[in-house]
Amino acid sequence: MQPAFPYRIREQQLWLSPDRCIYWEEEQSLIVSDLHFGKTGHFRKAGIAVPQSVYKEDLLRLLCQVQYFRPRQLLVVGDLFHSRENKELSLFLKWREDFPDLGIHLIQGNHDILHESWYAKAGIGLSRETLSVGPFSFVHDINDIGGDAGGIDGHAASGKGAYYFSGHIHPGIRIRGMGKQSLQFPCYYFGSDYAVLPAFGRFTGTVSIAPAPEDNVFAILPGILQIQ
Amino acid sequence: MTLKETIGYKTIAAWMTAEGRQPFAFQEETWEHILAGRSGLVNAPTGCGKTFSVFLGALIDFINQHPADYQTRSGSGLQLLWISPLRALAKDIGRAMEEVIRGLGIRWQVGTRNGDTDPNERARQKRRMPEVLIITPESLHLLLAQKGYADVFKPLKIIAVDEWHELLGSKRGVQVELAVARIAGTKAGACSIIGISATIGNLEEAKEVLLASLGDGLQEPAGEHGFIVRAVIAKPIEVESILPDEIEKYPWAGHLGLKLVHKVIPILESSRTTLIFINTRGMSETWYQTLLNVCPDLAGAIALHHGSIDMELRNWVEDALHEGKLKAVVCTASLDLGVDFRPVETVIQVGSPKGVARFLQRAGRSGHQPGAVSKIYFLPTHSLELMEAAALKAAMEEKLIESREPMLLCFDVLIQYLSTLAISDGFYPADLFTELKKTYCYREMTEDEWREILHFITAGGVALQQYDEYRKVEIMENGLYKINSRRVAMRHRLHIGTIVSEPMLKVRFTSGGYVGVIEEYFISRLEPGETFTLAGRNLELVMIKDMTVLVRKSNAKKSRVPSWNGGRMPLSANLGMMLRRKLDEASQMMEDTPGMMNDKSGMIDGTSGEPDIELRVLRPLFQLQAELSYMPRENELLIEQIETKDGFHLFVYPFEGRLVHEAMAALLAYRLSRVTPISFSFAMNDYGFELLSDQPIPLDDSNVYELFSPEALTADIQRSVNSAEMARRKFRDIAVIGGLIFQGYPGEYAKARHLQSSAGLLFNVFAEYDPNNLLVRQAYNEVMDQQMEERRLRNMLERVSRGKMVLRWPQRLTPFCFPLKVDSMREDLSSEKLEDRVRRMQAQLR
Repeated sequence: MQPAFPYRIREQQLWLSPDRCIYWEEEQSLIVSDLHFGKTGHFRKAGIAVPQSVYKEDLLRLLCQVQYFRPRQLLVVGDLFHSRENKELSLFLKWREDFPDLGIHLIQGNHDILHESWYAKAGIGLSRETLSVGPFSFVHDINDIGGDAGGIDGHAASGKGAYYFSGHIHPGIRIRGMGKQSLQFPCYYFGSDYAVLPAFGRFTGTVSIAPAPEDNVFAILPGILQIQ
Repeated sequence: MTLKETIGYKTIAAWMTAEGRQPFAFQEETWEHILAGRSGLVNAPTGCGKTFSVFLGALIDFINQHPADYQTRSGSGLQLLWISPLRALAKDIGRAMEEVIRGLGIRWQVGTRNGDTDPNERARQKRRMPEVLIITPESLHLLLAQKGYADVFKPLKIIAVDEWHELLGSKRGVQVELAVARIAGTKAGACSIIGISATIGNLEEAKEVLLASLGDGLQEPAGEHGFIVRAVIAKPIEVESILPDEIEKYPWAGHLGLKLVHKVIPILESSRTTLIFINTRGMSETWYQTLLNVCPDLAGAIALHHGSIDMELRNWVEDALHEGKLKAVVCTASLDLGVDFRPVETVIQVGSPKGVARFLQRAGRSGHQPGAVSKIYFLPTHSLELMEAAALKAAMEEKLIESREPMLLCFDVLIQYLSTLAISDGFYPADLFTELKKTYCYREMTEDEWREILHFITAGGVALQQYDEYRKVEIMENGLYKINSRRVAMRHRLHIGTIVSEPMLKVRFTSGGYVGVIEEYFISRLEPGETFTLAGRNLELVMIKDMTVLVRKSNAKKSRVPSWNGGRMPLSANLGMMLRRKLDEASQMMEDTPGMMNDKSGMIDGTSGEPDIELRVLRPLFQLQAELSYMPRENELLIEQIETKDGFHLFVYPFEGRLVHEAMAALLAYRLSRVTPISFSFAMNDYGFELLSDQPIPLDDSNVYELFSPEALTADIQRSVNSAEMARRKFRDIAVIGGLIFQGYPGEYAKARHLQSSAGLLFNVFAEYDPNNLLVRQAYNEVMDQQMEERRLRNMLERVSRGKMVLRWPQRLTPFCFPLKVDSMREDLSSEKLEDRVRRMQAQLR
């Protein structure tokens, strides 16, 4: 396993995992986004034969991360599940049973459309829009935060207010070399007021972002590499 | 009884005489084959009675079968199935057939069936099938998706496949093979199959592909497998290049050729109607605008015709062409096929037609009066392209017409076809396998592959048993393979077909009225208020709503011309060969008369031994090439290495077409990267390719032969960095055809957004989690066969390794490398900036 990359922000110690999640040391929390569990199942049910091993390995990877960092809780910044309930989610429930003491808190994303009772049954705490823990706040889509944070292209004044962790856009960073070479990788984005996590699920694409020079961006190569 | 003694022949001949017509020899020959129930191929160009060669034959046969009551018999059921690649053709062909039927006073009906056929008409056809059904390959497969389809084909006598040369070599051709095999299968081979094809290099093979599923059932003399009837109709073709006045000032790179527009006007004026063929839709828009700007008098007398323009407008243009109302039409391949426009006297081809067959076909669109000459002008879009005119002329003289290679083992089409059969009557794998093994496309399919396909459509490949809900084809208790889900069946019906297009949006006026379609990629980069050109109109973008682009008319002077990402055609092998020969002649010319300045006066064009006029005009360019670098002979491969501020460039000129060059570039890059760690980017055009690196490229006299060796070619190509990227691109079409991606129908799938994914993502997922999946394998195979054109690449390497490699280190960009250099910049720069930069670079060269 590639080592996690240490990163400090707002006097908190973070570890950026090459497996697409962040361990927040002070709160013993694993922050993760856009897992899209159940997605392959929905495709397959519609007759689209996507290999289901993508999902299996996503679950396995999450298991490894939980065993490695031993977090108290998972903070999921949205899109934990892809759509309505299907059989694949039963596999998740089985997975969940193996970690009865692990807290899971979901900040709902646009894909999280299951009934509230389902989350309760699965032992998943819910926040509809945002959640604040210590100096950090959590939201699925940063564009839903009016005013002080703004979109990824519009940077508001820094240093004041909460620092947000978000997901939703599945960020990727394009790296250009001489001789017109170009490569794209999923990445972590840290702006002055908010961060965007890469999508955890592997059956997801990336959308390339255009960070400002003062932003910090870490590409997942598969190791972690700070781009800027 | 011979043909001419039959009552059918006499009846038809009498009708023709009354109409002032006379049967052609090839038509009578075909009729004889039809009466004998044989299958085969009719080789005839457009506009010389090919439709009648089959249709009248079918009528003669019918009259002979029912001599007493042929005029009163109705409801005979489907007699003639007419498969045609173009919807637009159906209307005209149907009209011609109905005219005969009326003239003979028989009670046949002619029906058409394609994407435009309304549901009422379909329902009528279901109750009473017309005697003749004109259908596209896609609609034919939709027919096979109907329960009880076999009944429709019971009375069928003849399957005619029109424009077979167009279909062959594409996945639509494979669809035809499959449908023909199925229909023949329901009738135990009791029908004849007749293909109609223009001249191609592999007519014999074309026939074999089409008739393959008849197997041994052909009623032929021993040793012969189906007939070929050739229409011998000689129509003289005259080719003339439009020459720049000063070749020194004509651009070295470019793709529009607008600098020669002033030479086009007199041609338009002196001809009744002219077709101007442009290679892409975007460029045709620009040409149309420019013609109007240069010669405002043409307003109303010229029109634009391409595939993204509203069908109604296109129909209007075609009608106006028929009636001789238009002076000129700027068009793309959209007017390659179809019935003839009699008023057309002249054709202008702008830019390279990329192949001899296409050039001939376009030339043949002019001069239909008896005894008239087909006149075609070639307008080069950059200097070096003039050489292609000389090559085209020589290739036409030697009848070097391209072959259309049939596609093999298209699993994506097969998967789609199996689902089609599974939603109608279902299928039994053992029977179907036997039938498929008879087709040309799938005759090499192994039982393992067949099992894999069946597993894929029933179990969906790699799965987590108890957590899986995969549902598509189900195996019934009696072993029948069947799709039972109505939703799956409905979605499948909407996606039958093999034509995969870029995501397109409809363009409408805010006030209502449809303009055409435009690529999502292009429009997504525009802001509301910006203007663009479509269908020859300047339009202001108002907004994009529900997959529709709303626009209003604009009077803005400047507007953007859309790009359609459609694939760029590569130069054919035949034309490439001729081009190398012409280059050799040019080099010979430079050796024979060095230092002689360009002098057009006093030279007589066409005299034997004289180089072509095009080559003589290009002399100053060749001179500069020779001074800066080298003019290669036919057995030589020129390699240029140049350093600029962009990095280190390596240019190679095999003149083999862009696809082979792309493969060659990847291969060379791979082999060089084994010498030393190094990264490249590639650019290629039809003449050569470029490798660009940020460090010096380790290629010199010591290793150049090794780098171009044909040894270990297959293995090296497979390892070459680019093959995954190329396979990814191929995978898009395969995934759509194979049913992994649903192309957006506006509004249709708003509810199914959670089932959207991109081909790139799917490819990544399959490549990583199910790398042996047969659709992924197919993508790689298609890369090898079509993209890499491995056979052509190998031929090229063998040719080069027998010849001489010439290495040069020019101090400046040369006329040969210039178009490549410009092409490679295209990705990053907007068109305006590019122009500026090209101009600046060209100035530096002088």
